[in-house]
Amino acid sequence: MIAYRESEEGRPLRIAVPKGSLFADSVRLLQAAGLDTGALENPGRQLIVRTDDAEYIIGKPTDIPVYVAYGAADCGIGGKDVLIEAGLDVVELVDLGFGACRFVVAEKGGTQAEVSERARHLGVVRVATKYPVITQAHFDARGIQVEIVKLNGNIELAPLIGIADVVVDITATGTTLRENDLRIIEDVLPSSARFVGNPVAVRTDPRVSRLADTLAELSARDPEAGL
Amino acid sequence: MRPVTPRGFRDVLPEEAAEREALQRRLGDVFSAWGYGLVETPVVERLDALEAAAGSLEGTAFRLVDLDGQLLALRPDVTVPIARLVASRMGDEVGPHRLRYCANVFREHESLRGQSRQFTQVGVELVGARGPAADAEVVAMLVEALRAAGLSRFSIGMGTVEVFQAIVDAAGAGETWGAAVFAAAHDRNLVELDRLAAEPDVAPRAAAALRAVPRIRGGVEAIEACRSAASGCGCDGALDDLQTTYELLESAGVADKVAVDFSVMRSFDYYTGLVVEAYAPGLGVPLGGGGRYDGVLAAFDAPSPAAGFALGLERVAIALVEQDGGPRTRGLDAVLGGEPGLALEVAARLRGAGWRVTLSQREGSALVREAEHRGAVEALVATGKGLYRLDRSGEVALPIEDPIPYAPTTSWAQGGEAL
Repeated sequence: MIAYRESEEGRPLRIAVPKGSLFADSVRLLQAAGLDTGALENPGRQLIVRTDDAEYIIGKPTDIPVYVAYGAADCGIGGKDVLIEAGLDVVELVDLGFGACRFVVAEKGGTQAEVSERARHLGVVRVATKYPVITQAHFDARGIQVEIVKLNGNIELAPLIGIADVVVDITATGTTLRENDLRIIEDVLPSSARFVGNPVAVRTDPRVSRLADTLAELSARDPEAGL
Repeated sequence: MRPVTPRGFRDVLPEEAAEREALQRRLGDVFSAWGYGLVETPVVERLDALEAAAGSLEGTAFRLVDLDGQLLALRPDVTVPIARLVASRMGDEVGPHRLRYCANVFREHESLRGQSRQFTQVGVELVGARGPAADAEVVAMLVEALRAAGLSRFSIGMGTVEVFQAIVDAAGAGETWGAAVFAAAHDRNLVELDRLAAEPDVAPRAAAALRAVPRIRGGVEAIEACRSAASGCGCDGALDDLQTTYELLESAGVADKVAVDFSVMRSFDYYTGLVVEAYAPGLGVPLGGGGRYDGVLAAFDAPSPAAGFALGLERVAIALVEQDGGPRTRGLDAVLGGEPGLALEVAARLRGAGWRVTLSQREGSALVREAEHRGAVEALVATGKGLYRLDRSGEVALPIEDPIPYAPTTSWAQGGEAL
C-alpha cells in the first residue's frame, strides 16, 4: 500500500509522534532539536498539528510504523516494541534512549511446578501477550512450543483467570507485574524509543537525515533522558 | 453467491487498463530502442530453481504442489526466471543477452497490510556483460525509461553492496556476525548496525566504516567520502568502478538524476555489486530498482555476469497521477446506428479511415445520449442515402462526405480537449 500525499515543493516535514507514554519525551526532544513544538504541547483533540517547519501527525503508538512505512509521514518516533511487532519497512535511524523498558516472561508466583507439570502432560505452554510476533520468535529460538493468546490489554490478568500459564509483556519497573503477583522469570529483549524514517524520505529528503543527526547528538549527550 | 477476488488481487477495468497499456508501451519502446528483446517466462517456476538462485524467497513466494508432487512457486520476480531462461535456453549463444519483460509477479503478504499480492513489473536484464560500462547502460536506461513514462520529478539512488561486503570481510568478526550485519542492513536498521559495530571482536577500522558508510549519500563526492570512511577495508576497486560508472552517466547526460547512496540495499539478497533504486517525491516506496547479480547464473551452472532493473508499473502509474503526467488514452470517435447490415459495412470503412467506432442499435436522441455516455465524439447513422451525423437533439443533421475523412480529434464529452 502507498499513502497518497501531495508532494509539493517546500512542504513542511511530516513527523509522526506517538500518543501516550512516549509523547512528552518526544515533544521535548524535538524541541531540543530546534523544532517549533509550541502548538504540539497542548494539541487538544487535534491529530494534525502544523507549525512553520513541521507537520506533526499524532497517532497511536502501534500506528506510527504504518504511517512511516507507507509514506504518510516522512519520519517518526516509535518504541522498538511496536517496530518489531509491526515488521514494516522503515529505516531505524537513532536509538533515542527514552521510553526504556524490557520484554519479559512472567508467571504467577509459585506456579512454576504446575506450569511445567502441565507442559509435560499437554505438551504446550499457553502464553498471553500483546506482542505475538516477538513472543513466537522468543520461544521458537528457545525450542519451546507455545500456544499464543493475543490479548489487547491487562495482560497480567491472564494467568490469574486461567487463560494462560505465562505472559510476555513489557515492563519498565516491574511494579504492575509485582502488584498482580507475577514473577519475572526471563528477559526477552530490551526496548526504547527509536527515530525512524520512511525508506524513500531518508534517501531523498535531506531534512530527515539532518534531524536524525541532531537527535543522535542529543541522545548521545544524555543517553538516560535522550535530552 | 456474491463473488469476491482473493485478498490482494484485483481486476483492472478498461480506463485503467488503457492507461497501463500505454505506459507499458512507453517503457517497452525505450528498452526496444536500446536493443532489448521481449521475452516471456512461465508464471510458475520450480521452487528449487528459484531457491537455488535467491535465498531470501522464504515467506515471499506463493507455493503450489502439482499432481506429481513437485513444489512450484508463482514467480516473485522476473530476474531469476530470466537468469534461468538464459542459462537453460541461450547457453550456447554468444552474449551479451539484452532482454526485456513486462510480467505480473506474485508475493505473499500478511493480511490487513493493504498490500497487493499481484503486481506488474516492467524491466530489463543485461546478461553477459560486466564492468562500469554495463552498469552505466542499465542506470542510463532506467533514467530514460522514467522520463519516457512522463515523470518530470524523480531521482535514482545508486550504491554498491561490495563496500558492505568488504567492510564485513575486513572486520574479521566471523560469519554469524557478518550475517547479522547483512540482516540489519536489509532491515535498514542503523541502530542495530551501530550496535554490531561496537562488538568487541570487530576490527576498529571496520567498525568505524560500518557506522559511517550507510549514512553517506550525495553526488560524486560521496564516493570520496566513502573512500576515506572505509579506507583500509579493501573496497577501493569497487569504489573506482562506481566512480567510472558515475562518470559514464555524466557523459550520458543523466547524472543529474543520480545520487550516490551507500545505504541502498534491495530486498532480495542476490545482488553482488551495483544496486539502484528509483524514487518519486511524495511516494513512500521506491518506483523500482535493481542491480548487478553476478552469482545467480552460476547457481544454474552457467556462470555469467548480469545486471538489470524492474519498475513497478502500478507505482509508476501512481507517481504519474501525482505529477499529472499520466498517459492520455484515446477514446471512442463515434457510435454508429442504422440498419445493421449497412452499419457493419460503413463501420468497416470508418475503421479503415482510422476511426474508433462502436455499433449501436439505438436511434435518434437515445443514440446521441449513448455517444455522450461513452465519451464518443460523434453519433452517426448509416442510411441508404449515406452516412449522417446526428445533432444533439437526435435529428439527422450533416452528411459525412465520401471518402470518409480522418477520425475527429475533439469531443463533446471531454469538453473539446485535444485527445
